[in-house]
Amino acid sequence: MDLIGISINHKTAPLELRETLFLSTSEIKDLIPKLKKDVFSDGFILSTCNRTEVFGVPLKGVVNSIDIGDYILDYKPVPGIKRENFAGYFACSAIKHIFNVASGVDSLIIGDSQILGQVKESFQISLDWNFAGSVTKRMFDSALKVGKRSINETGIGDGAVSISYAAVQVVEKIFANLNKKSALVIGAGETGELAAVHLKDKEIGNIVIANRTKEKAEKLAEKVNGKVIDFDSIKDELYNFDIVISATGSPTAIVELSDIKNMMKKRKGTPACLVDIAVPRDIDPSAKKIDNVFYHDIDSLEVIVDQNKKFREKEIPKVERIIMEELVNFYSWYNSLEVIPTIKSFRNFFEEIRQDEMEKIKHKIHSDDIDKFNEVTKRLVGRLMHNPTKRLRELSETELSEQDLKTHTLILKELFKLDNNSKA
Amino acid sequence: MINTIHILNIVLPILYAATFAVYAYDFAQHKELLHNSKRAFLFVTLMVHIFYLLARTIEFNHPPITNKDEIFTILAFSIGFAYFLLELLTGIRGTGVFIILFSVIFQILSSLFIEDLVEVKEILRNRLLGAHVISALLGYSGFTISAVHGLLFLILYKDIKLSKFGLIFNRLPSLETLEKLSFVSLVIGFVLLTISIIIGFSWLPSAFPEFSYFDPKLISAGLVWVIYGIGILVKLIANWYGKKVIMFSLVGFILALLSLFFSNIFASSFHTFY
Repeated sequence: MDLIGISINHKTAPLELRETLFLSTSEIKDLIPKLKKDVFSDGFILSTCNRTEVFGVPLKGVVNSIDIGDYILDYKPVPGIKRENFAGYFACSAIKHIFNVASGVDSLIIGDSQILGQVKESFQISLDWNFAGSVTKRMFDSALKVGKRSINETGIGDGAVSISYAAVQVVEKIFANLNKKSALVIGAGETGELAAVHLKDKEIGNIVIANRTKEKAEKLAEKVNGKVIDFDSIKDELYNFDIVISATGSPTAIVELSDIKNMMKKRKGTPACLVDIAVPRDIDPSAKKIDNVFYHDIDSLEVIVDQNKKFREKEIPKVERIIMEELVNFYSWYNSLEVIPTIKSFRNFFEEIRQDEMEKIKHKIHSDDIDKFNEVTKRLVGRLMHNPTKRLRELSETELSEQDLKTHTLILKELFKLDNNSKA
Repeated sequence: MINTIHILNIVLPILYAATFAVYAYDFAQHKELLHNSKRAFLFVTLMVHIFYLLARTIEFNHPPITNKDEIFTILAFSIGFAYFLLELLTGIRGTGVFIILFSVIFQILSSLFIEDLVEVKEILRNRLLGAHVISALLGYSGFTISAVHGLLFLILYKDIKLSKFGLIFNRLPSLETLEKLSFVSLVIGFVLLTISIIIGFSWLPSAFPEFSYFDPKLISAGLVWVIYGIGILVKLIANWYGKKVIMFSLVGFILALLSLFFSNIFASSFHTFY
């Protein structure tokens, strides 16, 4: 197998280098024709903020991972990057690496839920730009299968591994039906946005955004089908919300203990969940002493995140078993490709003998019998060839290593003086 | 038949203990295989128990409600069966281990002391008495399930407040769900106990010449009924939430347990048949 490629990821390079090398979709679409012309007959490029992967089948001659790295850096120079920042993969290790990436075990956050979608997207670009050959197409299918099986058959993607998602996990332990609840997200920055999106994904009944810059709040509200309230009216409106998630950059507290007491008074003791994911904190932590107020900050949510990360790490062996199974399946298919030309030559060899013999006897038999002779000889050749061809296919799919298979096909070719120039 | 009954009397606590173990193991380990098959364990146990109760009824010619050991086996069954229905209807499987524990305890108590009673007072073969006792026992099963969910609510409430995200946090359903399950079980228990009390008041005075309104069982059952009734009212009218309502369920349950034991063991009245 000629597949070769390079990877730059969190294990090989610091974030600033990975970020600088990041290739946008338009850059990938621009780079693919160049790669097709100079380096690969087919392949794919995956680039996220955390990793860039370039894999393909070389056009001709010897191409090594260093050449590929240099080619990518010629296209997009990254100051300070070294050859050691690229990991090179070839043949089986390349396929295994791609499967690892698709399953999420190679991600910075193990079991990262986004990576499979990103892999799928990069494969789709290859298909759209005619950069996918039969081997890479099959590899795409297998990699996506690995990713899906990992999610469905293991716990690699279970539990929250981000603070925002952990906040939603706590909320779900308090309230049964989020679609009947109301949530206020204070702060429309990255963390606030993530929390709002997670709440929307959980089909929260009503979501409201408050932010000092109202335009940002409106933008986020539009994204999550929510509403906006004035930042200054937060304290007066608090009692309307079952869930309050605060993630601002404010240097001082936004919600005081007295505000929460007022809120609970107006709510007549109905439970409220206050999640403070800001540093420094936005909500007075003594709120946790009030009955039916569930207050959580980054420190407490970090406990959930750590637990889930450990759980996911324990699931890695299960994912590795899936990867091995799919590697075996992939190589069974790939090995069967090797024997197909030999089988075709083998069939042609016998067919030529048959036709030769038919030619010799067709003047010695009655014209009415020619068809019968044709049929009999075809059947005879078919039966003679059945066992060896069937066995060769079986060996390629199940039992032999690539080297053993080559030996078997070579013996067959030697014995019958075959070449692979099939006429069929 | 009698030999089968004796064998089942030994097998039943073992089956309940095994079911409890399966639920406990799944609670601790959360294995996919057990998670889906543990309900089958409970189903088989309940089927065997039904057969056992029918066999006793046929063999001894009276329903198994004539003494506290027979009542314990009915309680074990009704708690297990009520939970089975609850699990089937709600799909919530995380609380079973805590409820089935009560079935195990009641069945062990029953199996240890139960006797083969062929001769019983004629009054104990009365159908109205059967309806009175069975509805009361089903009501108490509802209260047991309500109390267990209430207790789990309090534990989870405390864990979430203290940011303890362990096994309880990971396995139990949400606080709102636990509160709802506790309240629904309480209402069902209350309705059944009310039916039992109505049957009792309409039939007992005519059946027992020595009937007295100061009977310890009547007083304790009345007290339990009042506590649960107040709990339901404050929830529905005053819209109380969580811990306050749960406390009614727990106090009512403790009182019900105490009345069950003390009125049967120490008190002696027309309401004591054995």
